[in-house]
Amino acid sequence: MVQEKSPSGLPSVAVYAWLIPVVAAVTVAGLVEPSVFAAAVWIGVTAVGAVAGAAGVAVGRHRQVAQLREESRGQSAALARQQEATARLADSLVPEMLTRLRLDEAPEEVLNWLTARWSGSYSGLPSEFQQAHWAMLRTVMDAVAAEEGLRDSAQRALVNLARRMQAIVHQQARELREMEDRHGQDPAVFGDLLRIDHNTALTGRLADSIAVLGGARPGRQWNRPVPLYSVLRGAMSRIVGYERVELSTSTECAVVGPAVEPLIHALAELLDNATRYSPPHTKVHLTAAEVQSGVAVEIEDGGVGMSEQARRLAERRLEQAQQGIDLGDLGETPRLGLAVVGRLTQAFGLQVSLRTSAYGGVRVVLVVPQQLITSAAEASGVAHGIGTFSGPRAASQPGQVVSRQTAKPPAARRLDEAPQVVERTANGLPQRRRRERVAEAQAPAANARPAEGTQRPPGEWLTAFKTGLSAEGTSGGDDAAAPRGEQ
Amino acid sequence: MSDSPQDGTEEGPERLYVITSGRSSASNGLDLVTLIVARTVPTAGMQPEHAAILSLCQAPLSVAEISAHIGLPVSVVSVLISDLLDEQQVLTRPPVPPADLPDLSLIEKVIHGLQKL
Repeated sequence: MVQEKSPSGLPSVAVYAWLIPVVAAVTVAGLVEPSVFAAAVWIGVTAVGAVAGAAGVAVGRHRQVAQLREESRGQSAALARQQEATARLADSLVPEMLTRLRLDEAPEEVLNWLTARWSGSYSGLPSEFQQAHWAMLRTVMDAVAAEEGLRDSAQRALVNLARRMQAIVHQQARELREMEDRHGQDPAVFGDLLRIDHNTALTGRLADSIAVLGGARPGRQWNRPVPLYSVLRGAMSRIVGYERVELSTSTECAVVGPAVEPLIHALAELLDNATRYSPPHTKVHLTAAEVQSGVAVEIEDGGVGMSEQARRLAERRLEQAQQGIDLGDLGETPRLGLAVVGRLTQAFGLQVSLRTSAYGGVRVVLVVPQQLITSAAEASGVAHGIGTFSGPRAASQPGQVVSRQTAKPPAARRLDEAPQVVERTANGLPQRRRRERVAEAQAPAANARPAEGTQRPPGEWLTAFKTGLSAEGTSGGDDAAAPRGEQ
Repeated sequence: MSDSPQDGTEEGPERLYVITSGRSSASNGLDLVTLIVARTVPTAGMQPEHAAILSLCQAPLSVAEISAHIGLPVSVVSVLISDLLDEQQVLTRPPVPPADLPDLSLIEKVIHGLQKL
């Protein structure tokens, strides 16, 4: 406003300034001759006219400038509002929209939310501007939604493929185990089967890794707790250099069913790293100990160790994976191990840390939280079937089978079984038990297919014969039937 | 790796090659009927399979019987037993040789003789 006053003062001075030469001319006119006077009057009138014209133009220009200023003020205010709206768009609307889309919100919901936010932010702005912004938002939203959809479907496809692979691998593993049982007496065949079995387990781990990268669970579900010892050996089963892993633990706890597979898988990846990045002749030590917060599983290798920089890099990879794996980040030769471990630890509350080992290698500590640990007594997952009877025997001894199945002793507590077995022979010679066992064993053979009694282990028939001889005079019934079936 | 709902037990996650550390056959000549007797009792920290064999073999058992009891193939059991043999925790006894049997005709003669009495 101050600026406005001074230009408006100038024309008013100019308006009166032209009187000065007029007064001067009139004054001079009184003094000079009439001819000169006429010329002076003419000049004066001309000058007055010119000055008045100039003043008129100046006034007109002044009004124009004022009007332009007014317009420019309005425009800059509108510009400021538009700037503000654009800044809001960039700072809050777009990021928030992206967050919502990434959190798997449906595009329609995001659109509704956007409309609600819109009406408040854009009042008073020209409609072209609003439309331009809206169009831009829609374009971004469509692009992002399409990308998310693409990623989702890629992940789903990945998981689907992994699941199919897993199904085949599980089936093959099951059949291999049956074959191992069937050909267990032929070391050459058995050795070959073990090698195939090992490679199958490696394939299975890869399929599990792919499933994890696709955002799914690693593999099969375990219904009951599994002893930690079995879990650790399960992890060893899935790596190439399992012979180099030295397992030592006396922990008798078990891992709850839902956490078994993730734990096995995470440990397998860590063990794989440990065996892969340490010299082939060195051992990798695998130990487990109960700590206050749960169970700490330690993997220590005798490799060259990690520099501080490499360790930080590895931990950063773990952290990144915990925040979510982008398949695009994996690169052409993906190093899945840490990504998978990070994903699993995040999903199941495991803690993993990398340190330098006392041996100079790397020491990985994975802490399994207390809520994933249970007592071994609840674990019925009889890892390798120790103490369970084979099918035909179980059928012939219903009473004993029931007692064993109800007891369900875990692998680590198999010692309790010793009295059961020895009890039968406790007050006599070992032969007493053998006679009893022979009699039991022949029951199905005598009943179902007496002619095939020769399938019994060859060491038993002599005993059966002796049993028959000694029992012949004392009793008929089952004991007497046994040797007859045998002969 | 199988769920076996029919008997209510499920196999563990470990495979047989881990139990035997990759070995498929024992170096010493164990056969199905070799009798195994434990010399010691199981101790803590032992591999569960070793402990199971030791507790089973407090009285003599043949390799085939041990295999049936602990549900592992004979080759695996042989490897485990040979580990225990190396550590001198078990003794082996050869099976009763079939050649010790009296001649079958002799037995028949004895039976006939007895029946004639």
